[in-house]
Amino acid sequence: MQTKRWRRTLVASMLAMALVASACGDDGETDTTTTDTTTDGTDGGSEPATAPGFDGETIRLGVITPTTGPVAVIGNPLTAGNQVRVDAINAAGGIAGKYPIELAVEDSAYDAPTAVQKYTSLKEDVVLFAQLLGTPIVSALLGELETDNIVAQPASLDSFWVREDNLIPVGGPYQIQAVNAMDWWVNQEGNADSVICFAGQDDPYGEAGFEGMEYAAEQMGFEIAADVRFAATDTAAEAHAPNVQRLAGAGCEFVFLTGTPSNSGALLGASAGGGFTPTWVGQSPTWVNALAESPLAPYLAAYYHVMTDGAEWGDASIPGMAQMLDDIAAHRPDQTPDIYFVFGYAAMMAVEQVLEEAVALGDLGRDGIANAMSSIETMEFGDLFSDYGWGPAADRVPPRVSRVFGIDPEAPEAGYFTPLTEPFASDVATAYEF
Amino acid sequence: MRTRGAAPDLVTDYAQDLRLVPNGWTAAGLLLLAAIFVTGPNLFSGFWVVVLGYAGVATIGAVGLNLLTGFTGQVSLGHAFFLGIGAYAAVQFGMNWGLPLFLWLPLCGVMGAIAGAVIGPFALRLRGQYLVIVTLGLVFLGEHVFKEWRSLTGGGTGTAVRPPLTLGPLDFSGMELFGTAYNRQQMLFWLIWAVAAIGILGAKNIVRTRPGRAMQAVRDRDLAAEVIGISLTRYKVGAFAISSAYGAVAGALYGALQGFVSPTEWNLFLAIQYVAMIIIGGMGTVFGAVLGALMLTALPRLIEDVSRRVDMPFVSGDKGGPEGFVTIFSVQRAMFGALIVGFLLFEPRGLAAIWLRFKAYLKTWPFSY
Repeated sequence: MQTKRWRRTLVASMLAMALVASACGDDGETDTTTTDTTTDGTDGGSEPATAPGFDGETIRLGVITPTTGPVAVIGNPLTAGNQVRVDAINAAGGIAGKYPIELAVEDSAYDAPTAVQKYTSLKEDVVLFAQLLGTPIVSALLGELETDNIVAQPASLDSFWVREDNLIPVGGPYQIQAVNAMDWWVNQEGNADSVICFAGQDDPYGEAGFEGMEYAAEQMGFEIAADVRFAATDTAAEAHAPNVQRLAGAGCEFVFLTGTPSNSGALLGASAGGGFTPTWVGQSPTWVNALAESPLAPYLAAYYHVMTDGAEWGDASIPGMAQMLDDIAAHRPDQTPDIYFVFGYAAMMAVEQVLEEAVALGDLGRDGIANAMSSIETMEFGDLFSDYGWGPAADRVPPRVSRVFGIDPEAPEAGYFTPLTEPFASDVATAYEF
Repeated sequence: MRTRGAAPDLVTDYAQDLRLVPNGWTAAGLLLLAAIFVTGPNLFSGFWVVVLGYAGVATIGAVGLNLLTGFTGQVSLGHAFFLGIGAYAAVQFGMNWGLPLFLWLPLCGVMGAIAGAVIGPFALRLRGQYLVIVTLGLVFLGEHVFKEWRSLTGGGTGTAVRPPLTLGPLDFSGMELFGTAYNRQQMLFWLIWAVAAIGILGAKNIVRTRPGRAMQAVRDRDLAAEVIGISLTRYKVGAFAISSAYGAVAGALYGALQGFVSPTEWNLFLAIQYVAMIIIGGMGTVFGAVLGALMLTALPRLIEDVSRRVDMPFVSGDKGGPEGFVTIFSVQRAMFGALIVGFLLFEPRGLAAIWLRFKAYLKTWPFSY
């Protein structure tokens, strides 16, 4: 009887402590009554009033990104890119030299419902979201962003974001990458008669790539012989055996891939194992440097290509790249070449421009940010990424430029990429309507 | 509560035994809860209001599952399926057909009841672990159906859930009340807990009257129950129907609270969470289901909170950064498993039993031992 009693007491006291600890947990949080910002109405020289996420001194920005899980290989470097740019801005005093930035990072694990919950807990405490990673996450949150009148930077290249007032898209969209890839394969390399196929994630991101493919198929007059979808969480090579069978069975000679590193790596591994050797072109988020360091490297060197926007790492002749390399040396010297870092850095440059404009207009509240968004004419990245024609969402002109890279496992200093083309904007891409 | 010289705290007739509010202490406790309910959004920070909203949803679902598993003895791992049905019924009736709140919410319950009634007959043929396997299959069937039914559920993309939320003068998607503006999460806190209170009252009433006694008889010895004239068909199928109705209402409110649902959410882990709630809370009592739901909704948040402040060994993604071979996610899930096993070993009657022992200790003080 005694032993049973002490066990029960132990369990009971542990539970009691847990409940007490949870009660003491987060009660010091700011309360949720929405503070309406009173705008001074004047511009230039007046201090912006306090607003959600801005206490008069520091600007707090939200970041919802996968810091754990299979997509963390994109989330972590991208956030590092955000952080280095923030460190550089803060070293110069902050936005307008006065207001340092603070990033509040939350883990979404690339799961839309988790991201929605994190968004809800963060939204009252931030000026805007500097990063929402993942097409599915951005799709899920778009309605909330509109209702709450909050602006966010989508770390995703769906063309859908171009016409959204609440989003700060950066870079050539996935659809453009797909169209340019098909232009390279069909027109430039002259393979109009080959069997062309598509493999992609079964979510909005996969849909985006497929949309671009369909448009290209229509305009260039080829057919998509096979369309294979897989779950974002299919990160084991065995899960892709049926996919490889379908692609090989359809006789695919070219496959356009819209995946993320873990599932793409698994699919490529399954293909290598099954002796399936088409020409692969993957969207930019399919890549991670670890692939070139894995046993898959020879297969990738022979058959894999990546479409991306953006300058070559280390090319100091490009002003944006030179600035980025300086900031890396100052704040994160052991950063290895990584395309996601570049994206995060460039995305923060865009956010920086929005914040600077908002401070210049004297309002960091929800409406102030919205006004700042429509007042900017061009988003500039010092050629790190192509310039983005800005303004109200209906007037935006996204870049149409992409570049085809092959894989060179012997070139870690270039991020294992070797350019096969110059940056180009195909005619079909230029005609793409958003 | 005893006055000097009065009779000890004994129950002397059936009516007294069945009373919902047997004494002054219970009444005081209920008043306190009502006060917390009314002032909730002002009392708690935004983050905890949302957590309590999710806890309310879990309470409704757990109370329903408890009616099925705890009172009728039909162990079901399929509760996630009925939650999913509720959420998508909310999308269809609320969003697509535009029915008002007082229509679409009960209709979601009705859809759940219909689904439960269809599954119920399996319980007539199968017992114990075989029924569990069938309900397990239900979850996977549901996952597949939800994923394929793109027009309703959005497939892999998921769908926004924004049904109309007005009830008379109250607009639960956000309104001003007595000078303070309340946002959607705060208004829904009230709606969810009001519905939860109705659900708990309903469950208590089922349990303390004839159907409840019949269900408990079915749980204890269904063959003997049939012999004495309790219709197994009626009570087993009925239990499934009612529990699924509760689950569907919970799912609908979950969708409304979150604003977005994805077919991958109605998975085995969710079903296990609900079973964990009723095991940990206490399987044969309504109060236990509520306690279990509250605790298991707060626990993952607590773990997350702790991980942000403390560098836990072996855990990646916490304050110490990305080193570590288990993620916080895995820690949360491991906790569920550990709690289920721990409670089954050391306190099979759950938190409710702990609470009852605590009450008994106080009642018999200073003669408690």
